[in-house]
Amino acid sequence: MLNVRRSWSLLRRLGCRTEVQTSRTSSCSSGVFLSDAGLVLKSQSTDVFQNLALEDWIDANVDLQRRGVLLLWRNRPAVVIGRHQNPWSECDLPAMRRRGIPVARRRSGGGTVFHDLGNLNLTFFASKKDYDRRRNLKVVVEALRRVSPGLAVHATERFDILLNGHLKISGTASRLSRKSSYHHCTLLHSADRSALSAVLRPSCPGIHSNATPSVPSPVANLLDHAPTLQWEELLDGLVHQYNAEFGLSSASSLVDPTDESTFPGISRMEAELRSWDWTFGKTPKFSVQTGLELEDSSARCSAQLHMEVKSGRIQSCDLQVPAAWLPVRLSGELTDSLVGQRFCPQRAAAGVASLLRAQSGELQSRLHILCDAVISVMG
Amino acid sequence: MAACGLFRSLSSSAATALPLLSRPAPLSALRLACKPSVRRTVASSSRLSAALKYTDKHEWVRVEDGGIGTVGISNFAQEALGDVVYCGLPEVGTQLAQHDEFGALESVKAASELYSPLTGEVVEVNTLLADSPGLVNKSCYKDGWLIKMTIANPAEVDALMDEPAYERYIRSIED
Repeated sequence: MLNVRRSWSLLRRLGCRTEVQTSRTSSCSSGVFLSDAGLVLKSQSTDVFQNLALEDWIDANVDLQRRGVLLLWRNRPAVVIGRHQNPWSECDLPAMRRRGIPVARRRSGGGTVFHDLGNLNLTFFASKKDYDRRRNLKVVVEALRRVSPGLAVHATERFDILLNGHLKISGTASRLSRKSSYHHCTLLHSADRSALSAVLRPSCPGIHSNATPSVPSPVANLLDHAPTLQWEELLDGLVHQYNAEFGLSSASSLVDPTDESTFPGISRMEAELRSWDWTFGKTPKFSVQTGLELEDSSARCSAQLHMEVKSGRIQSCDLQVPAAWLPVRLSGELTDSLVGQRFCPQRAAAGVASLLRAQSGELQSRLHILCDAVISVMG
Repeated sequence: MAACGLFRSLSSSAATALPLLSRPAPLSALRLACKPSVRRTVASSSRLSAALKYTDKHEWVRVEDGGIGTVGISNFAQEALGDVVYCGLPEVGTQLAQHDEFGALESVKAASELYSPLTGEVVEVNTLLADSPGLVNKSCYKDGWLIKMTIANPAEVDALMDEPAYERYIRSIED
């Protein structure tokens, strides 16, 4: 059974790094959290940015030298890319926009994952000294085997968890900071697999980049292979196994990552994670090279587009459009108007608007077709 | 006691299976070529500034001519990290205060934050690392340097560990 505690009391004890650990025999109502070297938290939020901010906050503020923390969380549909990935190549941004699915960049490494309410996220916080992904995954695998005996699950060298030898149900990523570490992993219980495949593909062709790539894998949901495994039962099993593995007796606590009084500074962390500068601006330098097919009622042609994008902004743009389709002067004005802009369809559209207004007739219509083709490359 | 893993974290205090810290070969590379006719004692030579200083985060700083500091990570750090697959480095012009996060090295182990050893401005970033992040492992003191920065406060350099102190520090955390 979920044992709810007032988060302010438990976190007051753990929040400040300089606070001395109080004695085991404290009679305070949240005494159970003081006694052991562990803590289990469950986030009340299903917002990916709030939850990522919560991870940042715990990593920065909780003293992990003598105790670890396990955080359990899930998000409304979102795509989460790794620290050094390229969102345009990892996911279909227009498809996500249509479905209201945001993209978030996390601070740990690794590849791209799709989150929804059927995916459980586990974050194991520990000191750098106690950083041990294999041990953490052992917790997950053994918990699964307990709640669903006979389930064929195992952890791989890459720290994935596979079902039946080949179906991925969990992926891992981690972050090491000054004194602390966190290792987080997904766990597919009942995610929407068709939504997953619809969004985990590139926004546009022709991207060349040295950003860290994802390793695509066929996935499966636990529920499809263990139909009686309920969500709460899964969580209870994981908490139980975490306690067993680390010799603890922590009950879990609900926490609200929007509560600035419990987590001072967390809303600033959330704002940073939501920002364009973090999500898109941190994309490693890349180039886009692709052909554009242009057609109107009287003619069609092929054009070549080459853009260099750095920090999410267009550094250079080269457009080879046959002069018979559109005067070179106009193609040149288009590329000039794009340089320095964010690699973003809305910004680009705004940037070319005045250029379009200055034309008329067939020139305007062809320029419009060209603009649309270029903008569609931006996701 | 944490279960034995394939590697240890950068500031592990547990017994570790890491190989002994090898004397950094680049020491010989640091001995700058002096004109044969000029003799300088070590104590008075301004070239001494080319010696490495180290932080407790296993970064090194080498002060170059013109008061620019080159920054990289030590052999101990690159071994602990494992194969680096991506170097996330700041833009030229970024202002850094000492201890600020300025980027991250991604390896199979994790994304490990980089902390600025000094206060200053980034004047150059090692662009070779974009295509060859493995230089950080193969040549951590030379071709695998990360950034160059101005040194706003030379006292910060003085306070860093010299090589013997750093080697003592490594031994103390390996024990």
